[in-house]
Amino acid sequence: MKLKRLLGKLSQFLDSNNKTQQQEIKSIRKVLKVLKEKEHKLQAKLANRQAYEADEIEALQLKLDVIYAQRRKGIERVQALKKNTS
Amino acid sequence: MLRKFTLPFVLLLLAYVLWVGAEFMDLALGVAFFIFGMICLEDGFKAFAGGALETILQRSTNRLWKSLLLGFTSTTIMQSSTLVSLITISFVSSEMIALAGGIGIILGANIGTSTGAWLIAGLGLKVDIGSYAMPMLVFGVLLLMQKSKTIKGAGNLVLGIGFLFFGIHFMKEGFTQLQGSFDLSAYSVSGVYGVLLFTLIGTLITFLMQSSHATLMIVIAALATGQVSYENALALSIGAGLGSAVTTALGGLAANLGGKRVAAAQVVFSLVTTLLAMVLINPLIIAVDWMAVYLGIAAADYLLKLALFQTLFRVLGAVIFMPFINKIEVLLIKYIQFVPKSTEQPLYLYPEVLETPSSVVAAVRKEVEHLFDNAFGLLAHGLSLKRSVIESEESLSTEVKNTRRIFPIDVENAYEEKIKSLHSEIVAFISEAQMRESTHVATEELYVLRQASRNIVGAVKGMKHLHNNLSRYGLSSNPAVRERYDQIRLQLARLLRELRLLLKEEPSSATALSLDSLKLSIQKASRAMTDDLDEMIRYRRLNANIATSIMNDENYVADIANNLIAAVHALLSKEEAATTDQFNLDEIEIQRLVDKESNVAK
Repeated sequence: MKLKRLLGKLSQFLDSNNKTQQQEIKSIRKVLKVLKEKEHKLQAKLANRQAYEADEIEALQLKLDVIYAQRRKGIERVQALKKNTS
Repeated sequence: MLRKFTLPFVLLLLAYVLWVGAEFMDLALGVAFFIFGMICLEDGFKAFAGGALETILQRSTNRLWKSLLLGFTSTTIMQSSTLVSLITISFVSSEMIALAGGIGIILGANIGTSTGAWLIAGLGLKVDIGSYAMPMLVFGVLLLMQKSKTIKGAGNLVLGIGFLFFGIHFMKEGFTQLQGSFDLSAYSVSGVYGVLLFTLIGTLITFLMQSSHATLMIVIAALATGQVSYENALALSIGAGLGSAVTTALGGLAANLGGKRVAAAQVVFSLVTTLLAMVLINPLIIAVDWMAVYLGIAAADYLLKLALFQTLFRVLGAVIFMPFINKIEVLLIKYIQFVPKSTEQPLYLYPEVLETPSSVVAAVRKEVEHLFDNAFGLLAHGLSLKRSVIESEESLSTEVKNTRRIFPIDVENAYEEKIKSLHSEIVAFISEAQMRESTHVATEELYVLRQASRNIVGAVKGMKHLHNNLSRYGLSSNPAVRERYDQIRLQLARLLRELRLLLKEEPSSATALSLDSLKLSIQKASRAMTDDLDEMIRYRRLNANIATSIMNDENYVADIANNLIAAVHALLSKEEAATTDQFNLDEIEIQRLVDKESNVAK
């Protein structure tokens, strides 16, 4: 089922024209920017470690790890789109 | 407001009475010992609950005579009609026994109460009961110090009987002392007014002491020392029955539907029996005198005559009541129902909204948020935390650690009133909207919102299961168990706080993405808990039975959490869903992060 969905997405992607891909890159960048802001906020909180309990720091670190992973995913997607459009 | 000042007032009054009249000291001490003995007995029998007691109750209520016999014998053995009533209420509530069977037990328990009077009147005041109490207390404490739950229970039973005996001894002493300073018999009132006045006094004393047994004991001790006339003592003992019904009725108010019905049956029965005894007091006295001759009770032995009177009027009440049990059951089921007005009404679903597909989606979204809000309150209380605490910035771990009591909420009732009714309205409204012309996007969104509503229902259902074990083990005296349940509560409380913040947040394209970290945190906590439990079982630091209960509860937590996250995901995802979905981590990616985090932790 997953493979089928992926193939569907791929064919959709291959069929789409450059303009749509540019738009997609734009919207992904928008999300990436928001994520970056969130990342900065979390890093600022983590810098002030004394204000938090140990488990709260752990939770903040976990949120940061997730944002890293999400951003990496977004950047890879942008790179794939760029490769395709060039 | 009144309730807030009752205890301080009673305490002050008692302190004043004991200060002014030192002769009341022994009497008060006797009452205190007697009530404490009953509490020990109740605790002792509760230790055996979950096994034989429940099995016997379940199998012995298929016929009326069996229920009666069961109520009578269990009250005779336990010497606490309150405990029998409470167990009956819980069994009727969980529909393990029928209402008629429950009423039968209550009738039997009422007759069983009079055996206490026989014991006290026959033995209690004739033998030096205090001398038996001392060795019992020594043995009781020794048993209580053991680790085994069963031996501890036995210790409580022995201790309970010891304190009961001590109570009887001191009450007897108290009345003997009182005899020298006061003559209460001077206040005796005869005739109809006497019956009315002393029945009322008996009711009040029982209501205040929450025990008809304790009242009977005082009455018998007072009668034995001549502080109260025989006729007035009979009226007081009639009032004791009514007083215990008032206590049960108050308990029934807080119980669920089944409990309310059983409590109502007890009130009706006690009222009928009390009225009957008051009206027929003179014929009953004649009947007691007549029967006393055949039973070999001396004409001047008023103590045993009082016990006989107790049995006689309670049996009479039961005999008159029995033919109507089925009719009363039907009436109770008919008139004591869930109050429909208390069920939650939708706030946003009106027929006018059905005009356009977008307004339907907006209204349903708001209503699902309303449903989430109800679930939020219910789940917070299910975790024994106030909603305001979760919504504040207070430290949740401190709140959880400092919890002193598990909120006695009826999750089933709350689910019916606050969640199920609203969910049904949402489903019905969506179905109606789908019969009209709609757009593809609106249909898809409604599908997602209906699923979100189902997720919320699923989360509350999970809490129904979890709350059972939280009530049992949540405040366990075993620190290892308490700590695990504290972790469970903290995990869910944090999730609720995070979800609430996300829903309140100004929606951005990345709001829904924050849910990934919550998923990760739940999976990580679940893995840590499982590893922890495995280790504790391995090193025998935790009983395997309790460990599996915690593991089951951990599953419920995961269910509740996943359902809530899915519901909030549906509520947060709007137009930009297609873009943000590309950022969402899938199961494999989350699992990879869990592995990474776990390795870091090790």
